[in-house]
Amino acid sequence: MHLRISVSDLSKLDILVRGRVGESHLLLGNEAVARGALEGGVSVATTYPGTPSSEIADTIALMAREAGIYMEYSTNEMVALEVAAGASISGARAICSMKMVGLNVASDALMTLAYTGVRGGLVVISADDPDCFSSQNEQDNRYYALLANVPCLEPSNAQEAKDMLLSALRLSEEFELPVMLRLVTRVSHARKPVVLGPVEARSRDMKFSRDVKRFVMVPSNARSRHLVLLEKMDRVKKAAEESSLNAVLGEGALGVVTSGVSFNYCMEALNLLDLRASVLKLGLVNPLPTGLIISFLKEHDPVIVVEELEPFLELHIRSIAQGADVRCRILGKLSHPSYLPRNGELSTRLVLSAISKVLDRPTPVDFHYIETGSRMAEALSPPRPPVLCPGCPHMASFHAIKVATGGKAVCATDIGCYALGAQPPLSVGDVMLCMGGSAGVSSGISKVVEEPVVGVVGDSTFFHASIPGLINAVYNKHEFVYVVLDNCTTAMTNFQPHPGTGVTGLGESSKQILIEDVAKGCGVDFVKVTDPYDLKHTISTIKEAVDYKGPAVVISRHKCAILESQERTAKGDEIIQFKIDEEKCTECMACIKSLGCPALAVTEGNVSIDSILCAGCGVCAQVCPYAAIRKG
Amino acid sequence: MSTTNLIVAGVGGQGVILATEILGNAAIKENFDVVISEIHGMAQRGGAVVSHVRIGPKVYSPTVVEGLADAILGFEPVEVLRFLRYASDRTRIITSKRRVIPPSVSMGVAQYPSLEQIVGMYRRFTQHITLIDAFTLAEEAGSARTQNIVLVGALAATRALPFKNDTLKACIQERVPRKYLEANLKAFDLGYTEASC
Repeated sequence: MHLRISVSDLSKLDILVRGRVGESHLLLGNEAVARGALEGGVSVATTYPGTPSSEIADTIALMAREAGIYMEYSTNEMVALEVAAGASISGARAICSMKMVGLNVASDALMTLAYTGVRGGLVVISADDPDCFSSQNEQDNRYYALLANVPCLEPSNAQEAKDMLLSALRLSEEFELPVMLRLVTRVSHARKPVVLGPVEARSRDMKFSRDVKRFVMVPSNARSRHLVLLEKMDRVKKAAEESSLNAVLGEGALGVVTSGVSFNYCMEALNLLDLRASVLKLGLVNPLPTGLIISFLKEHDPVIVVEELEPFLELHIRSIAQGADVRCRILGKLSHPSYLPRNGELSTRLVLSAISKVLDRPTPVDFHYIETGSRMAEALSPPRPPVLCPGCPHMASFHAIKVATGGKAVCATDIGCYALGAQPPLSVGDVMLCMGGSAGVSSGISKVVEEPVVGVVGDSTFFHASIPGLINAVYNKHEFVYVVLDNCTTAMTNFQPHPGTGVTGLGESSKQILIEDVAKGCGVDFVKVTDPYDLKHTISTIKEAVDYKGPAVVISRHKCAILESQERTAKGDEIIQFKIDEEKCTECMACIKSLGCPALAVTEGNVSIDSILCAGCGVCAQVCPYAAIRKG
Repeated sequence: MSTTNLIVAGVGGQGVILATEILGNAAIKENFDVVISEIHGMAQRGGAVVSHVRIGPKVYSPTVVEGLADAILGFEPVEVLRFLRYASDRTRIITSKRRVIPPSVSMGVAQYPSLEQIVGMYRRFTQHITLIDAFTLAEEAGSARTQNIVLVGALAATRALPFKNDTLKACIQERVPRKYLEANLKAFDLGYTEASC
């Protein structure tokens, strides 16, 4: 029996660092992973923030000082993995966390790190986002584990996320391989009671010892290291047969193979159907335990494979069945008919429907009836998509871009809050691909179209991946305006510092790297800084940039409205809000149509400013053609 | 003992996550298993926010099955509409009456339905509906920011939760800043009384 206490007035730090072994606390999956880093004796934790992974590193940042962990917000995921690799090769345990698209950036390092292998345990944590809750795609990163040929563990909840990080660290050290821990949004952002475990001692053997054949991946060395990797993974595969990470639960003729979050939906569905079935839960999804799978296939028929996104397990299970000449009906996404979708997240409903279809039974809940009714209810609901916050300086910047280019510009936008500017009424943003991509995409567009081309990028994203694109633009003589929306923080993912802030993840002050200096260093001759709250100046600066021959950088800099309001509140400064002068207001709606600030509302044809929401930026007053908005 | 399934729906900034954390901590205190699933990031920027809360002896899925919610706790009337797929004739709907107008309505591209239309739609699913003026009650308690606790109190009054009021109050005490404690406890009682009538 575990000692159960609740959060009480202990702070998060109290729980995570000072909590006692055996206590159970309500933790977010990502917080549980952070606790796992402490329990696992991790010395170095690196990251680039990205939803749904951010709270792992943010929580470690909170714990770092007291726990004696070095953590950093690296400039991007590849650098983060390189830093973690360097530490691990020198004997320290390290973790590197990122969202799934971050692994695209880090993949160059990962592919070869698999060859060199590691010394201190190194775990790459990939938080995938099935259903694109806050991502540009829903890629399934289990394929990266397959591509790099490294082990991959997949936990189903917060407790397992912590425990499997410990297993992954041990596995990594035992086989001297980087190991992937794959989370998904519903594990990272789900809270569950998590039982704290003991804190392991840090690795003792922290030193660098030279081994050129192993760590210098010139072709002659890489060839032999590839063989070493293949041999190591053969050994992991043998170990997988006996691993407690994989388990068979329950008994019945029907077999279910599943992993990660999907396991939960299977258990709920089987309970709702009151069905006896045998569930093979795979915690280690690469490499797969061939022997265990063969015997499971021999003992059950049919076998349904339940997994989110790609038919990763199913493909392998089919290949294993063919290789062993097992005749068993394998049902999933590749079968005809298919039973589960290859897109979006799974749910108990989807699994319930799939199993019911396999058994030719009605579902215990009439989903068809629910669907009809809920569609009517949803049709009645006005949409409420995420929007830029009241007083967000990006709103002013986007308005300025529109006015300065007469609304004619083609605009490549980038990853961050400002992607929301593509929505009406701002409607600035015609293409968005990947982190830092707007410089390159703008360059390509500018080679083809006559209209002015504007690239938009945030400050953290600028440092992350846009610099090679900017240098390319100078070198290859591309002509576009590159507007850096500098709100002095990484706002979208919860305000992490970056090189432009002059503060590190450990809260130490550091050299502040100015974007204008970087742009000049990249060879850009036109570099100007403006405050978007000064609309007139911002518009004229962007106009000047549009007329300039060659790449022009405009840094539109104003601190994020949320941060600014927090700082004001802390200082006790009053926010002077704006009001509508009803005598002067003609209800022309210019303010609403040009900014779409959430603090502006129309009730029965009259424009008003919400006194709770108004951040006092005064941009709407500058937009009003009748001077009907004034400081109240 | 069966599982209690709750949907908590509101708008970013209304305190949905704190309310569900209090429910989760109360569940742990009373030796239940619990899972709370929420969405961060993009969805928090003034957008619709929903949290799934599941409490029972052993819970697996982080999300509620459509049609099987015991209660939908709404911080805003339209936000409940969005999640009626989780309701059946057994579901209790407890919601704040106060509208939060989305920018799509201010800009004239969408319409906000009348409260009668909204409640009419609720009634297609269930007759167990409690509408409360959580905002005014929160102001009465001492701070508009205690609206979420008014709603937790109202939820407790419907007996949809498998735990005692004292446990919830203890969790509120542990989770809110000391200087707002009195207002929050009053908010809980006001919500409880309002929904009990």
